[in-house]
Amino acid sequence: MAMRGSTGAYTNGTRLMVDARDVHKYFHNNEVLRGVNMQVLRGEVVVVIGPSGSGKTTFLRCINHLEKINRGRIYVDGKLIGYRETGDGKLVEDSERNIAGIRAEIGMVFQRFNLFPHLTALQNIIEAPMQVKGIAREQAEARGRELLAKVGLAQKADAYPARLSGGQQQRVAIARALAMDPKLMLFDEATSALDPELVGEVLKVMRQLAEEGMTMVVVTHEMGFARDVADRVIFMDGGIIQEEGAPAQMFSASSNERLRTFLGQIREE
Amino acid sequence: MGGLLQWLQSVVTLNHFFVWTYVWKYTPAPAIIQGAIVTVILSVISQLLGTLIGLMLYFLRRGRIRVFRISADAYIWFFRGTPLAVQILAFYTLFPYLHISRPLRAIDPFSAIGFTHGPGPIFLDSFLAAILALSLNEGAYMAEIVRAGIDAIDVGQLEAAKSLGMTYSLAMRRIVLPQAFRIIIPPLGNEFNNMLKNTALAAFIALNELLETGRLIGDANFASLELLVVASLWYLLLTTIWGFFQGIIERKLNASNLDPGAPRPQWWQRAFGFGQGNAGVATAVPAEH
Repeated sequence: MAMRGSTGAYTNGTRLMVDARDVHKYFHNNEVLRGVNMQVLRGEVVVVIGPSGSGKTTFLRCINHLEKINRGRIYVDGKLIGYRETGDGKLVEDSERNIAGIRAEIGMVFQRFNLFPHLTALQNIIEAPMQVKGIAREQAEARGRELLAKVGLAQKADAYPARLSGGQQQRVAIARALAMDPKLMLFDEATSALDPELVGEVLKVMRQLAEEGMTMVVVTHEMGFARDVADRVIFMDGGIIQEEGAPAQMFSASSNERLRTFLGQIREE
Repeated sequence: MGGLLQWLQSVVTLNHFFVWTYVWKYTPAPAIIQGAIVTVILSVISQLLGTLIGLMLYFLRRGRIRVFRISADAYIWFFRGTPLAVQILAFYTLFPYLHISRPLRAIDPFSAIGFTHGPGPIFLDSFLAAILALSLNEGAYMAEIVRAGIDAIDVGQLEAAKSLGMTYSLAMRRIVLPQAFRIIIPPLGNEFNNMLKNTALAAFIALNELLETGRLIGDANFASLELLVVASLWYLLLTTIWGFFQGIIERKLNASNLDPGAPRPQWWQRAFGFGQGNAGVATAVPAEH
């Protein structure tokens, strides 16, 4: 499929942070992704919405190869994810070390936080920089405390995850991802597991990150966040991208029947 | 009638053939203490090796290579399906075929380091046969315990670690295993308690551990039952001390998850194994919010 969009910049490879082409994914015989094409520009905030089972979370997990794709290609910052291209154009699975190396540059925030419960907040944050990047403890801790302050949890450095609220845990998880200095951040329904009163504090951090120019792909049900923060909104359903565009257009002016039904259901909740 | 009463009296009091003074005399005897030390050495080494084997079996069974997976399953099937006593005897009996029994016996390292108080030397071939059988047998059981521990860790932990750029082995080492270890500790403690007692089967192959030492002394002094009581007292002492340490270890490992307000078991509960329930497991599960 040709590059979509109207900016023209999409054809300039160096400006593309994510370039997914014809991505297919099966779970057994169930085709969850049926040819997804998505390009994300450097510094762009793309919000992916859609009903559950639409494949949006699966697609996000394909971007850092937590799920293997069965067909198509995904490039992040020009690098093919999960596979190596042989001389004759065939794809073979990349080495674990290379995949890990690419993942180290992609931050991911999970719905269920997935903080390491045996480590304190600060230890959670410095673990990967020290073990993966080989950064010295002193440096890693200084940076870790900086990041904790940034997400408003400077005083919780020594708290174990079990002692933190859901919102606090998710903010630590964001700080943990940021500690690797990622080029791209993936958010997988980062606020869906939170009590309603805790959603705001996490969205605030995400908003701040967007303002600082971080490239973000955000899967969420928070339509307010999509409307305010997204540069572009993508609506997925049935394993493909049904519609995409600027938030204003998507939320009020779309003619796509599925999207309007979906938005109607969301508003009723 | 009088004979029956007398017999019943002897059952109750053991007066006619049981001499308590032998018990008090031999319980602190150097030979017995040495036997207990051998039992502890045997148990610790076998438990450590068994745990390592269990861990290895986990990765073989979870690995990509089919032959390894099948071999690991077969191993576990075999060692859990045959008596430990047979395994110990088999290794001991196997050694002469390999022409290593006599050379091993000639080395006699235990006498060299001062284990000279027993009724006889501690044969190295017996010792190694016991270690081999106990470790390999324990490995089969630990494989299941390790599997339960690792599988109890949410797959999200491994995914989070991978998303941060960790390789599988690094994620296992730094993130998954430390958490799984906490879950493994209570059943591992029970395994070690069993191990302390299972080493007594080495008496079959003339290894002068606690039971064999007691048996030899007892038979030589016409005090077989008394020396069995002596050995039992020592086994009780060892398992009690272990129960105490197990409680301390479980508490330390759960430091990050324990609710500070939760009641802690008293020292005597930890030592005697009362009132612990499955607290170690329950508190190792991260809280959901």
